[in-house]
Amino acid sequence: MKLALRWLLVFSSTCNLVYGLTTEIFDENLKINHLQDGRVSTTFTFETVLKGASPRDPRTLNTQDASQHYVLFPLTLGQILREYAVTELHLTLNAGNWNYDRWGYPEEKGVGTGAELWAWMGTGAPTSVDDRWKGLRNALAGLFCASLGSLDEQRTTSPTRSYFPQGVLPNWNGNSTHQLRHASLPSEHVCTENLTPFLKLLPCKSLSGVASLLNPHRLFDADWHGMSVHVLWLGAAGIKVRLTFQSLMDPLRSSISNNQNWSFQSLFDHTIERNCPAANSSTVQVTLPSSDSYSAVPEPPVVSGSLATYDVLTAQKPLDISVSRRGEFQYPSSFQAVAPISVTRTLQGFNQANGRLSLVLRNHRSVPQSLVYLETMPWLVQFHLHTLQARVEGRIHDDVISDISYTAAVPHSRPTTFQAMLRLPPNSVTRLNMDVDKAFLRYTEHPPDAQRGWDLPPAVLTPLILDTNGTHLSDEYRLGEPIYTSTLLVDVATPDFSMPYNVIIFTCSLVAFIFGSIFNLLTRKFVVLHLDSNQGN
Amino acid sequence: MPFPLPAPLKDPSTLFYQSNVVKRSIIASYWTVILLAVPLWWYATSIQRLSLPISQIHSHAQRHLKLPVDICVEDVDAVSNLHAFFAEKTRAGSDGWSDLEVRVHGGSECADTSSYRVRNAPNILVTQNEIYLPLHDKQRLSSASEIFTSLVNPSSRTINQNNRVVQYSPQYRLAFTLLNEDASTGSSASNWDIQAGLAQRVKPILDKLQPLHNFTIESQVQYHGRLAFKPQAIGDVSYGLTAEDLTVFINSAEWSLSSSASNDPVLHFVLFIPSATRRPLHILTSDAQISRSKSFLLPQWGGITIYNPPIDILGKNADLPARVNDQVFQEFSRQLLTLLGVPFLPNGVQTHQSDISSLSDWQIDALMRRRALENAKGAHETLTSIVKLVDQIENMPVKEDVKGDVQGALDALEKVSPSLHSLPFRLLTNDPQTFAASSLQDTFRYSAEATTLASRAFFNPGMLALLYFPAEHKYAVYTPLFASAVIPLFVAALKEITAWRKQR
Repeated sequence: MKLALRWLLVFSSTCNLVYGLTTEIFDENLKINHLQDGRVSTTFTFETVLKGASPRDPRTLNTQDASQHYVLFPLTLGQILREYAVTELHLTLNAGNWNYDRWGYPEEKGVGTGAELWAWMGTGAPTSVDDRWKGLRNALAGLFCASLGSLDEQRTTSPTRSYFPQGVLPNWNGNSTHQLRHASLPSEHVCTENLTPFLKLLPCKSLSGVASLLNPHRLFDADWHGMSVHVLWLGAAGIKVRLTFQSLMDPLRSSISNNQNWSFQSLFDHTIERNCPAANSSTVQVTLPSSDSYSAVPEPPVVSGSLATYDVLTAQKPLDISVSRRGEFQYPSSFQAVAPISVTRTLQGFNQANGRLSLVLRNHRSVPQSLVYLETMPWLVQFHLHTLQARVEGRIHDDVISDISYTAAVPHSRPTTFQAMLRLPPNSVTRLNMDVDKAFLRYTEHPPDAQRGWDLPPAVLTPLILDTNGTHLSDEYRLGEPIYTSTLLVDVATPDFSMPYNVIIFTCSLVAFIFGSIFNLLTRKFVVLHLDSNQGN
Repeated sequence: MPFPLPAPLKDPSTLFYQSNVVKRSIIASYWTVILLAVPLWWYATSIQRLSLPISQIHSHAQRHLKLPVDICVEDVDAVSNLHAFFAEKTRAGSDGWSDLEVRVHGGSECADTSSYRVRNAPNILVTQNEIYLPLHDKQRLSSASEIFTSLVNPSSRTINQNNRVVQYSPQYRLAFTLLNEDASTGSSASNWDIQAGLAQRVKPILDKLQPLHNFTIESQVQYHGRLAFKPQAIGDVSYGLTAEDLTVFINSAEWSLSSSASNDPVLHFVLFIPSATRRPLHILTSDAQISRSKSFLLPQWGGITIYNPPIDILGKNADLPARVNDQVFQEFSRQLLTLLGVPFLPNGVQTHQSDISSLSDWQIDALMRRRALENAKGAHETLTSIVKLVDQIENMPVKEDVKGDVQGALDALEKVSPSLHSLPFRLLTNDPQTFAASSLQDTFRYSAEATTLASRAFFNPGMLALLYFPAEHKYAVYTPLFASAVIPLFVAALKEITAWRKQR
């Protein structure tokens, strides 16, 4: 007890010390890539590092927290992180379906449709991890104006095989453990009301520096867009907050002459006019086309390989980078696969009681490919795990699926977590099929637009990459970049919502009828009628 | 004589279940079941409304709370003088004097009850809980007494001009913001020495206010904080803010000042650095002259200070100079004291400590007395409104927790009245100072508890649950069932009664 107290004292004093000496560094970057189908991907990255800081020890949640003094770090986010003692946080809000086959891997990996939130939190706090998770998602819902509050226990899972901490998890007293909470909400629609609070977290908002290109009119006109917030602890280096915004623009759409030329002005309707005074570095990186027939204006000061880098801080303002190519854009007849596999997920079946989940996996490589397959399903779709069957090129192969871990759904409360290891033969098409049951919901559990159906979260497939000095799974494998499948829409049986009143009326009539008959029988008086004999004559 | 029936048939009137007695008892038993079910149905569908201690709340209104102030005068001759002075003030009863009971003791008799001491000295000087007055100088004594009384009970009008003082809360969040209007134009402040400013100017105050409030502190720096309006230009060189501008100065849509993590009231302190293109920015007086003041206060919200840094030729941003930093935090600390309602020392009073940040016990105690009275009054008003509300709205449930909170608030209010609980203290402790201090602190603590509990009861979400559940809804569900079942029962009962009457 005494020792614990002393440790607490030491901790709090170092904490104060840390807060007194922190320095903060802010870097901003914009990366522009050309994609095979003529689209242009733009990725804004804003990184703030709070040097020397450490996440809050959950055991100190009962005591008053140290004062928070920030220069560049977003205070509103910092308050939430410390209030709930969150060590690592990832929030993504995406609109649209990322097409891995055409677009390759995204710059930012989390591209699952809708909202996805996952966090690592330390245990040992006076309040449980689930309570803090609830507080966290409600606070973030308020901060980002998103319906993250509905990421309740019906959607929360803990899939530790597919999600690893990306930073360092602190070890406060030698045996402290961390828990993962993950939830996704595919029906979340991302729009301006989410971008405005996002911009408020940036030191320069959208008024100067690279961030001044973030023009909502253009960003939400893009073919695909998504934003994300990542908070992680780098160990002694401090806490890092990374805010990103990705969008996929199509210069061909607005082009009359069908060429792929773009400039800041044509993509964002803005140019960079001023430096962000808070930025330590501010760069724009452009992946130049492989052919020589292009011109980039202004001339890139640094080119390494096909990557041209502009330093915004020293560049002449207003900065309007443009890349133009000679000739028309030739739409390719086939796309070169960048991701090792491509995947199609569908929910088959025509009735509202059951169906079949089907996954088609194509291995493009000439080597066997191992994957971690994660399915987090709300309880309204229940798996029949014994019907899970893998067919390679039409023949049943049992050795494709191995190492299954399965947490069955509990109706009305817990979702399914299904994790398995898949091993795909080289250059093959593998089909996974599984029968599912669709739940019959309670009257009050239906959403307001019940006939639309329910969005189901994307599955995540994480390739395992052979690695000689791997860190994560085993000595030889590490997790590659995840591949998110598209979301599904499930049509569950919906009642006629005026039914309760009809039922009340029908039942009441029936009850009244039966009651009346029985009552009548019980109290009826029978009498003998004597017919007058005279009348008969 | 009726015709006899054929042999296999019976006359129904001879069957036992066709007798009037059986039939009537069947109908009677139906009605008994229904009548017995009514209380059960009533109980199952009624809203739980526990009775509140109404009479206790009303009787408490009759009681007038008087807080004692014990003053010990070193010089016995001056006792009567001061006593008369205070008696007159109390008799007038204005400006909060009616809530105080000032007792002046002299020499030896005051040893164990008084908390303040008056000593003799030519100049008026205040130390921790002592005051030096020119007790022997009859001419100066009356003006000195006037100052003395305003130290004991500062005029509430001067403290709470325009409702500046924030509502009492046990916990406040102090949010300091260095806000550059546009740092990208250069010559703005990129950072400030918040730690030094807080340590030198704010922390000493917060330590002194510890018995009243807890504080959490946070700070941030912002590089872009546009104003929602254009300040008017004065000539070519400077810009001005009129009184109307000040009321809309806060651009809460763009300045991310609000914090979302807690419900504690926030006091904001903003250092505003105007854009280099709109500098210097001044506050204008009502006759459009440049005011000497560089800061202003938004009642119950916080304070804003404007600093115009010199224009740097290279357009670089620099840290806030240490001297300016100190001035700014001195201003913030003054604004903090005003917002919290801490009375300033009356004019003409000297202290040993030269700077403002060390407060005397006189000021803290005066504030504590005022807050205690306010809280007790507020708690009582809240309790009365709860009773009124519950009385007015019949659908409003009153559950155990609400009742418990109301009772707790009442109990705390009982304890606020010092005469009740100070007696055992008087017996236990010999040290007059600790007794008096703990007594005032206890009073304050109970009053704070009372107001917290009362407002928790008032805002209990359970009280709203059935507020808008219409009675028509109930009938819509009941009528189809009960109307069709009860009508045959009624008719049968009526028939039987008429038959029975005829029989007689």
